[in-house]
Amino acid sequence: MLRIEGVSKSFSTDNGSTCTLDNIDLTIEKGDFISLVGPSGCGKSTLLNIVAGLEKACSGRVLMDGREIRDAGPDRVVMFQEAALFPWLKVIDNVEYGMKVAGLPKRERREKAFHYLKMVHLTRFASSYPHELSGGMRQRVALARALAMDSDILLMDEPFAALDSQTRSILHTELQQIWRTTQKTIIFITHNVEEAVLLADRVVVMTANPGKVKKVFSIKLARPRDMENVDLAFVVSQVIQELKEEVEKVARAEFDSDWSPKSDTFLPTPERNIGNGI
Amino acid sequence: MINRIQTVLFYILLVGIWHGLYQLAIWPDFLFPSPLGVFSTFRQGLADGTFYTAVSTSMGRVVKGYLIALALGLPLGVFIATSRVFKNTVGSLISGLQPLPSICWLPLSVLWIGLNEMAIIFIILIGATFSITTATEAGIRNVPPIFARAARTMGTKGWRIYTDVLLPASLPSVITGMKLAWAFAWRALMAGELLSSGVGLGQVLMVGRDLNDMSMVISVMIIIAVLGQLINRLIFSQLETRVRKRWGLDRA
Repeated sequence: MLRIEGVSKSFSTDNGSTCTLDNIDLTIEKGDFISLVGPSGCGKSTLLNIVAGLEKACSGRVLMDGREIRDAGPDRVVMFQEAALFPWLKVIDNVEYGMKVAGLPKRERREKAFHYLKMVHLTRFASSYPHELSGGMRQRVALARALAMDSDILLMDEPFAALDSQTRSILHTELQQIWRTTQKTIIFITHNVEEAVLLADRVVVMTANPGKVKKVFSIKLARPRDMENVDLAFVVSQVIQELKEEVEKVARAEFDSDWSPKSDTFLPTPERNIGNGI
Repeated sequence: MINRIQTVLFYILLVGIWHGLYQLAIWPDFLFPSPLGVFSTFRQGLADGTFYTAVSTSMGRVVKGYLIALALGLPLGVFIATSRVFKNTVGSLISGLQPLPSICWLPLSVLWIGLNEMAIIFIILIGATFSITTATEAGIRNVPPIFARAARTMGTKGWRIYTDVLLPASLPSVITGMKLAWAFAWRALMAGELLSSGVGLGQVLMVGRDLNDMSMVISVMIIIAVLGQLINRLIFSQLETRVRKRWGLDRA
């Protein structure tokens, strides 16, 4: 349904140019839940923005149902890391906004907005302003707003990164539930591998500079998934193994050139083990 | 409550000191009137309608000038913020002319427009428009880009991004600009009225000077100060507070 063909993008700054995305090929079927993980700077957000139509690729193209994506639109709604709710509108008006742009009549908008607010369990705050809500609540409203667009594809750019872990677990459960009922296609970006394996059908591990697809893991665990599940932990460790090399590469590039993961981190090694397991 | 009491007591004290100084007769009567003298002139001015005419004339002028300034300044600010061509041309002209006090425009406006109402409204316009333009431009440029992106992913296109996102998002900044523009407009009004003849407040002030009527001068000064402050408090500050509350900008 969504085909990313040979997408490349490079940014040039004063410090030279980076090959943020290098010939990315990915196919996403209808109803898939895909997660993109990778070290920072690997182009995950850039790829999402290109799919969303907010940025243009330097080469390659993205096809949705056979048509090339040229611009942002309500068929590919995005949920950002910061909720990006409009502070001058009440919560309910925020959720209604997309429908208002689409030209739906007022009564229908109101009903649907309440329906989606109920899905995220926030109907009590319909008449509040965004500044009166906590971060987690704002993200839930942003989720309701995105869902109210009724788009086939939902793009999520590290939506839960700024939340505390309790709120995040609640939202994980809610998201799984929502995905099950709405059967949307979801592309979910995160740098949290546990989150990715918990939620997704396929986890795409990306490299940084150049940004390529390193490996695609097919997660065959039964749903609904649980963070405490041992099988989940196993899959997570496999993905982390794949990811570790990339993270170290990025760290080496970002830290000083004489940093090395072995000598400069305090890791328990046999020599430093002063009595574990006695 | 205690704040109000302190303020009122302070003013009573000031008037008391004023009266005391008057009693000492350090300066001649026509230069330094007593508070009671000023008060009776005040009452007179209200009774014979001078002050009423003066206030309504002045207010009429400043409101007209201000509204035109709004109608011109807001779109100008939007254009300068969004079009590079506009910014380099009209924008640079406006920022170049900004340091010129409104009163310096009076000779030009009198020569061009004549010695009438329009000349005064013109300089009020000049004073206020630039503030509104600058504030609108800054407001729009400082809107976090994520709002426009979010709106685009929900299908907003073209000019709707301005009406739905950029303008509402820049409202706090615009209101601050409007407050500033009011201050400039009021000052431009006074400058214009002081240097021309007619029945506005500034003009009555000059009449007081010509007649050596210090009580009149002080009465009118009080009216001008109070009126300016009143409108600032009742209209602009209220507006600003409401918007800031809704946005949650002033959380303690």
